[in-house]
Amino acid sequence: MRHFLYLTNTRLVSLLTSGRSILSRREFAVSGAGAAAFERYLAQVPTTPVRIFTDLSEEDLRLDAIPHVGARDREAIVGRKLAQIYRNTPYRYAQLQGRETEGRRDDRVIYTAVTNPEMLRVWLEMIERLRVPLEGIHSAAVFSGVLLEEMDLLFPHTLLVTFTPGDAMRQTYFRDREIRFSRLTPIDLGEGQTLGGMIAEETTRTWQYLDSLRNFAHEDRLEVCVLVHRNDRATVESALRDFAQLQYRLLDMEEVAIKLGLKPPPLDSTAEEVMVHLFLLRGAPNHFATPEMRRHASLRSARILLTQISLGVLAASVVWGGWNLWQVFQTNETDQRVAQQVADLNRESDEIMRSLPSFGVGGTTMRDAVTFYNGSLRTYPSLTDFLLPLSGVLRGYPEVKLLQLAWIATDDPKATLKIRPTTLRDLPQVKSSSKGQVNTAPTPGAAQETPNPPFAGGRYEVALLEAIVRVPNNDFRAARTQVERLANDIGQIEGFRVDVVDSPLDTSPTLELSGHLLDRESPTMDARFVLRLTRERNPA
Amino acid sequence: MSPVFGAEGFRTLRLSWALVAVSIAVGAGIVAATHWYAAKERRGSMDTGRRLQEARSRVDTARRERDSLQESADVFRTLVNRGVLQSERRLDVVDLVNGLRARNQLAALDYEIDPQRVLQLPGGRVYSSLDVLASRVRIRARALHEGDLLGFIDGLEHNMQGFYLPDRCLLKRLDVSDPLSLQPRVEAECTLEWITLKEKRGSRPS
Repeated sequence: MRHFLYLTNTRLVSLLTSGRSILSRREFAVSGAGAAAFERYLAQVPTTPVRIFTDLSEEDLRLDAIPHVGARDREAIVGRKLAQIYRNTPYRYAQLQGRETEGRRDDRVIYTAVTNPEMLRVWLEMIERLRVPLEGIHSAAVFSGVLLEEMDLLFPHTLLVTFTPGDAMRQTYFRDREIRFSRLTPIDLGEGQTLGGMIAEETTRTWQYLDSLRNFAHEDRLEVCVLVHRNDRATVESALRDFAQLQYRLLDMEEVAIKLGLKPPPLDSTAEEVMVHLFLLRGAPNHFATPEMRRHASLRSARILLTQISLGVLAASVVWGGWNLWQVFQTNETDQRVAQQVADLNRESDEIMRSLPSFGVGGTTMRDAVTFYNGSLRTYPSLTDFLLPLSGVLRGYPEVKLLQLAWIATDDPKATLKIRPTTLRDLPQVKSSSKGQVNTAPTPGAAQETPNPPFAGGRYEVALLEAIVRVPNNDFRAARTQVERLANDIGQIEGFRVDVVDSPLDTSPTLELSGHLLDRESPTMDARFVLRLTRERNPA
Repeated sequence: MSPVFGAEGFRTLRLSWALVAVSIAVGAGIVAATHWYAAKERRGSMDTGRRLQEARSRVDTARRERDSLQESADVFRTLVNRGVLQSERRLDVVDLVNGLRARNQLAALDYEIDPQRVLQLPGGRVYSSLDVLASRVRIRARALHEGDLLGFIDGLEHNMQGFYLPDRCLLKRLDVSDPLSLQPRVEAECTLEWITLKEKRGSRPS
C-alpha cells in the first residue's frame, strides 16, 4: 500500500493506493484544525510510505543553460546555481531537459523550488514525528508533462490547464515536451463570470505573456489542453473561442481516466487522482525531499531489502537443500532398483549353481578332469591299434618271420629304442660288422626308467621291429629287395614312417664285410633285418 | 553517506542484519547438511553399483560355467563311472589281471605295481583343482600265441574300470626246441601307467 499527499495552498488530499488502484481519498484543510485531523489520520497508517505532490503558488520555475560538461561537474554547477537562486529553501530541484541546437550547444536546465518552505514544514514535521517513511516530494507541475505524453498530446507549444483541490487553476507551458513556464491562479469568479470565461481570460493572458517572451514565431499556435470534468465541460466549452494563435482542446476527465486505466474516474475536475495514477504508471524521481527527510524511507527500503535477502537466502538454501534431498531420493530409488536387480541376479546365480551337474566335486575339478582326459587320455595310443595294421601288411609276406617288437609311447619322435638282437641258428655266410663291436644293447625299459618317470604323453609311437626274411642262400639282393618292399608297404599305412635300421647285408664302405662259404650249404638262408617304425598321433 | 550505514541505520536495522546473518547461517547449514547426506548416499550408491557389477559378474561366471560344464558333464560322468576319481582299488586290479589271464590263457604271468606317485605332466603342467596320480604296472607274460598276449594287454587298456596306459612293450618270440610241444612261444614285457585323479584339498566350492 502507498500513501500520496496532494498539497495545495488551501487543501491537502490524502490518497491511499494499492497496486494501481486508489483505495481511499481524504481531504484536509490547510489550517490548524485540518492539520490536527491529518495527524490523527496519519497516525493510523504510520508505516505506509508517503509521497507528496506539491501544487503551490509558491513554486518557482526558472530556465537556464549551462555548459555541456561531465556528470559530476554538471551536478556541481547545478547544485551551486540552485543554492544561489533558492538559498532560503531546501525544497529545490534542477532538471536537465535537452541541449541547445546552436552555439556551444549548452544543456538546458530548469530550476524549480518551493520558495516558501513553511508551506511544507508543518506536514513534514508531522511525518517526521510519526516516523512515517517519506519517499519523495514531487512538483505536480513538473510531473504533469507525463499526462501529455500518455494522452499523445505532443505539440510544439502546449499549455496544459489543470484544476487543483482548493479552487485553483494551474497553467503549465511545454515547448517541444520541455516545461518552460507554470503558473497557479486561484479561481475567484467575479459577478457573472463563468469558469469558461476565466479560463479564456487567463489562457489568453498567458499566451500574451509567453509571446512577449518571444516563445512563438508568427505561424506558431499554442495548443491549450484543458483537463475538465464532464460536469464543467458545458460551461467551459461555450466560453472558449479558438483563433489563429490559440486553440483549445478539452480533455474529458472520464475519457482520460478510461485511457489511463483509472478506475473509478474522478468525480470532479481536479487533477490529483490523475497525477497519482500517472505516477503509479510511470514513476518519477524525487524532486524536493532531501536525503535526511527520506531517511526513514531509506531505512524502510533497506529493511525490506535485508528481509528479502534473508528470505532469498533461506529460499535458495531450501531449494538447494531440496535439490540435494531430491538427488538422495533419486539415488535411493535407484538403489532400491539396483538392490532388486542384485537380488534377482543372486537368485539367478544360485539357481544356475544349483542346476550345475556337480558329481560331488567342484566345477573347476570337473573342468580340469575333462581337460586332462581330452588332452592326455582320450587319444592316448594303444598297442593293439598300432599292431593291427602292421599285422595286416606282414600277412602279405609269408617269407618274413617276426622275431621281436619293442614299442614305446613318447612325445619325442627321435626317442632311441634298443633291442637285444636275437641269436639265430642259420646265419648267412656273408655278414658285415664294425671292428670290435660288442652287441650288448639292453632290453627296453630296464635301463631307461627313472624312479619317477614323467608321463609319456604318447604323441608318437616308436617301435623297433626285428625279423628275418627267408631267401635263397646268399641271395642278399632278394633279401634287401623284400625288406625294402616291406618297409615301403608299412610306410603306406596312414601315419607310419619306416626306416631300415639293420639291412640283411650292410654294404656300407665304413664297415667290415666278411664271408665264410662252405662246400655243403643250405638252399635257403634267414637274413635278419630291423625296421624302425614311427607313428604320429592325429591331433584331437 | 546513506543513512543505512550510519549509526542510526545500524541501530534501526540491527534485527534485519541479524536476520540476514541467521538466514545465511541456517541456509549454509541446510545446504551443508543436505550436501553431506547426499554425498553419503552417493557413496552408498556407488557401493550398490559395485555390488551390482559383482552380481552380474557372478551370473556371467555361473552361466559360462554352466555352459562349460554341460559340455563336459557327459565326459566327466564317464570318468566318474570308470572310477578315475576314486582312490586305487588294487584288489580290483588283482582280480582284473587274474580274470584276463584266465580269459587269454596265458602260460605265465608276473606283475608288479609300484607305489602310487604324482605324475609329472609334460611341460610341468599342474591343474589347480586336482592331482594326477599314477602307479606303474609292470607285466611279464608268456603265451602260446601272440594273440593271447595282445588280448590280455587290450583287455587292460580297454577295461571299463580305471585307465591303464601302455608306456612301453617288448613282444618277443621264444626259441622252442620242440615245435610240437605245448610251450610258450611268445613273451611280452610291458609297462603301463594306472592313472587316477585326486581332487585337491580346498578346491571344492563352499
